[in-house]
Amino acid sequence: MGNAFCKPRTPRHITHYTLNIPQATCVGILGSLVLLVGCSREPKIPVIKVGFVAPLTGDQAPHGEDMLGGARLAVEQVQAGGELVPGYRVALVALDDQRNPTQAVSAAKKLVADPDVVAVVGHLNSSCTMPASAVYHQAGLLQITPVSSNPKISRQGFETFYRTCATDDLQGPAGALVAVRELGAARIFLIDDMTTYGRGLANEFEKKARELGANLLGHEGITQGDKDFTPLLTKIKALQPDLVYFAGMFPEGALLIKQRKDVGLGGHFMGGDGLFDPVLIELATAEAAEGIYLTTIGSDVHAMPTAQGFIRAYEARYGPLGAYSAYAYEATNIVLWAIQQAGKKDRQAVLAAMKTLKDYPGLFGRQNFDEKGDSLIRDVGLFTVKDGKFAFLKTASWD
Amino acid sequence: MTPLQVFFQQLLNGLTIGSIYALIALGYTMVYGVIQLINFAHGEVFMVGAYAALTILLVLGIAQPLVGWLLVGVVLLCGIASMAGCGLLGLGIERFAYRPLRTAPRLSALITAIGVSFVLQNVVMLLYGATDRRFPPVIAPLRWEVAGATVTILQVIIWVSSAVLMLGVQALVMRTRLGRAMRAASHDLTACRLLGIPVDRVIAVTFCIGSALAAFGGMLFGVYYNTINFHDGYLTGLKAFTAAVLGGIGNIPGAMVGGLVLGVLEALGAGYLSAQWKNAFAFVVLVALLLWKPTGLLGERVAERA
Amino acid sequence: MRRWGAALLIVACGLPLITRNAYHIDVLTGAGLYALLALGLNVVVGFTGLLHLGYAAFFAIGAYTYALLNLHAGVPFWLGLLPSAATAGLCGVLLGIPVMRVRGDYLAIVTLGFGEIVRILFTNLESWTGGPNGLLGIAHPTIWIPGQGVWGFGVRSVPYYYLVVALTALTAAVCVRMNRSRVGRAWAAIREDEVAAACAGIDTVQLKLLAQGCGAAIGGVAGAVFAAKQGTITPDSFDFILSVMVLAMVVLGGLGRVSGAIIGALVLGVLPEVLRGVEQFRMLLFGVVMISMMRLCPQGIMGALRARGLFRSPSSTVDAVPAA
Repeated sequence: MGNAFCKPRTPRHITHYTLNIPQATCVGILGSLVLLVGCSREPKIPVIKVGFVAPLTGDQAPHGEDMLGGARLAVEQVQAGGELVPGYRVALVALDDQRNPTQAVSAAKKLVADPDVVAVVGHLNSSCTMPASAVYHQAGLLQITPVSSNPKISRQGFETFYRTCATDDLQGPAGALVAVRELGAARIFLIDDMTTYGRGLANEFEKKARELGANLLGHEGITQGDKDFTPLLTKIKALQPDLVYFAGMFPEGALLIKQRKDVGLGGHFMGGDGLFDPVLIELATAEAAEGIYLTTIGSDVHAMPTAQGFIRAYEARYGPLGAYSAYAYEATNIVLWAIQQAGKKDRQAVLAAMKTLKDYPGLFGRQNFDEKGDSLIRDVGLFTVKDGKFAFLKTASWD
Repeated sequence: MTPLQVFFQQLLNGLTIGSIYALIALGYTMVYGVIQLINFAHGEVFMVGAYAALTILLVLGIAQPLVGWLLVGVVLLCGIASMAGCGLLGLGIERFAYRPLRTAPRLSALITAIGVSFVLQNVVMLLYGATDRRFPPVIAPLRWEVAGATVTILQVIIWVSSAVLMLGVQALVMRTRLGRAMRAASHDLTACRLLGIPVDRVIAVTFCIGSALAAFGGMLFGVYYNTINFHDGYLTGLKAFTAAVLGGIGNIPGAMVGGLVLGVLEALGAGYLSAQWKNAFAFVVLVALLLWKPTGLLGERVAERA
Repeated sequence: MRRWGAALLIVACGLPLITRNAYHIDVLTGAGLYALLALGLNVVVGFTGLLHLGYAAFFAIGAYTYALLNLHAGVPFWLGLLPSAATAGLCGVLLGIPVMRVRGDYLAIVTLGFGEIVRILFTNLESWTGGPNGLLGIAHPTIWIPGQGVWGFGVRSVPYYYLVVALTALTAAVCVRMNRSRVGRAWAAIREDEVAAACAGIDTVQLKLLAQGCGAAIGGVAGAVFAAKQGTITPDSFDFILSVMVLAMVVLGGLGRVSGAIIGALVLGVLPEVLRGVEQFRMLLFGVVMISMMRLCPQGIMGALRARGLFRSPSSTVDAVPAA
């Protein structure tokens, strides 16, 4: 029994090899695959490529798709507007990293090895952006991450690295300030999703909340992809907190919000930008989501006069705006701007052009970057859910 | 809430997810019992079941909780349709992926199972999108206070329906001709064939029943959590497999006990130890239990020779 | 067989001279790392017949061992290889002792549990492992070139490629020799019939532990190389899917064959990158290819080739056992 899996049931002696029908089908599938991959080469028109990497398969694919929509839209708009750089067309190369750091490095090397790629928008997860940023740095390739908010990435000091989102050390403290000062929460319970993003954000929140003298009842992690949080919420209910803070993404956030009602846990609920997706309210039901708070990177994109055109175009093309679509659109546009400034297919020139960026008119206002490559737009927006919709409350400060 | 009430509540929480684990674990254990295959694609069949039920609800245009006979009718339709659909899917998988490998080394079929699970996951992702889908609330929320703990109507439905299905499967296996054939096949396939038992058909039916049970579990899962995702089969399937082994793989009452025990263990682990150790806790208990009883809670002694 | 191996090695060494594309080299380096893992797992599953579903744990242990030694004690890569292999190997033996009583598929689930526990430990022991953030700034390997001083690998592709090719070739050679030795024959005996092997006077406990230790140590070496190459490690690089993929490589290549483990790793390691033209369909096609290949060669690629009389070396009676 113990060894059974190594043994064939009956030996097979094959002398003449012919394919039966199912086998032939399999060969056919394999063959057409090879053809498919072999034929997907593009025609030879001079091209400048913008790389894009995010998880497009696997459990984080929803977030990656949101980003891809924004990036695609930016490139399509430029393509429709004629030649960005005379004699070249611009194309987006979208690669999948499955939120796996190993694959992220492979994808980064693939982009680096392609001489047509002059800049990269990506990745989603901080754990992927981190090792990949070293690869781009070594190749002198401009990288802008729209959403990887872990502060450690820019502290590596890579001059190729930029990001358009605020880091977790702004959003966490801003949330803590609102929670303690304005909502008057004295007893707080923290939950994160045990990812680079969630843990980082929760730790920043915790630090500030302690400073403000809140009583932290506990800090727990949940597993991404898990569905049943009632045991944890039942435990939290017994502690009677004033506020539960969740640092994580909207699928788990929605379940926490909904199950919190089911177990009868009262008090406030607050989260970070990972929850800022209309799907959250749909999944959690408007009734359960009513009155939760969340902070976002940058203020309300829907309220930005500068963003109305983008929102209309996006929703006409890809449906409701995802959590990260606007950031990816912004990052891609900045990349395209740098390419236009450079005026040629040259990585060094694009990077040099990026350094001259000043007061770029973006969706979230005038974009500038500090010496680490972090955006100087450091607004943290505070939202609540009202009548089944996100409602902007104010721009929150972080100290 | 008093500590005792909290404990009682945690027990109820655990029994609910445990019932779903048990339903899926039945499929793992039945297939394993007959052909000694760890059908890694089983968790994916569960996920497809949830999506099948969702599709029917979307086609019927149901977005609000229903009442009375309409509710019963819709739930039955959903249940039967998704069970039938996944039953067929199970038959198909067995016919095209596993049967050609019946004489190959057992690990080859295991790898095929992994391939099948990649395919199912990605087909669903491409058809329904990668974002979590909302599962319409078919049943109005109703809750009672029992001894200080909250019990919802959904939990009661999950307990009752999974208990009925499990008892049904147990009766099928122990009391019917088909069940006898399954038990015989699990002892010795070759001898069965010699005795004129249509082994291929028995195996196919086993896959079909196991997949249908998983589909029903998928529907309950969707109704209970109100969200489904193409990736849900992975973690839940892994847990259900663990439950099947915990109870003694190949043993039907074992799968039920294993599912419930695992659900309760997880709830108590998350409630009293720490949620971030929840999965580790479940596995530590599993490993410890297998070291103490190497064939699971109710498993029979495994013969030394294959 | 030895001639084929030497030919493969020569081709592998010559490749960077043909392609200047760093990405291609990197994909092959990744496949080479998989090949190392597959060779290690093959010792446990293929040679000795112990189904292991938590092999990624050893990869993780090796990676974290080197990373921690490097970050806290400044241990250079070459010195870190040994403790990485030793720690992983020790963990393999330590895991092997209690699971001695557990057999077959129960062993599979215990090892699966072990893999998950190790990953969760690395995620939760935040003060040591950096938790979900992982460990950053792990030193890349450096070598000393006479006259030029210290030369770092950095994030270049070619040096890692040669490092992985060398380690894979060395490991493969050791595996082949082990498999043909007394120990290898004893392993085969355990795989085919443990009771009979014990009756024949084989110390099955000791040999099973040896297999688990050797397999784990190879995984540890691969882990150290991975950590040095990436510069950053996070627990999500070592999930259950990785264990399953490595097992798939071993089985697809041909269980119990050194050549099979390498071929399987090359095929399944390169395939996801080949399918990059069709991003969202990538994993779907990957699944289809896995099913089709298993169906075409149920005994694995090398098994199918041998059944057709290819690659049959006169002295290969021992390593051809699983199909016989």
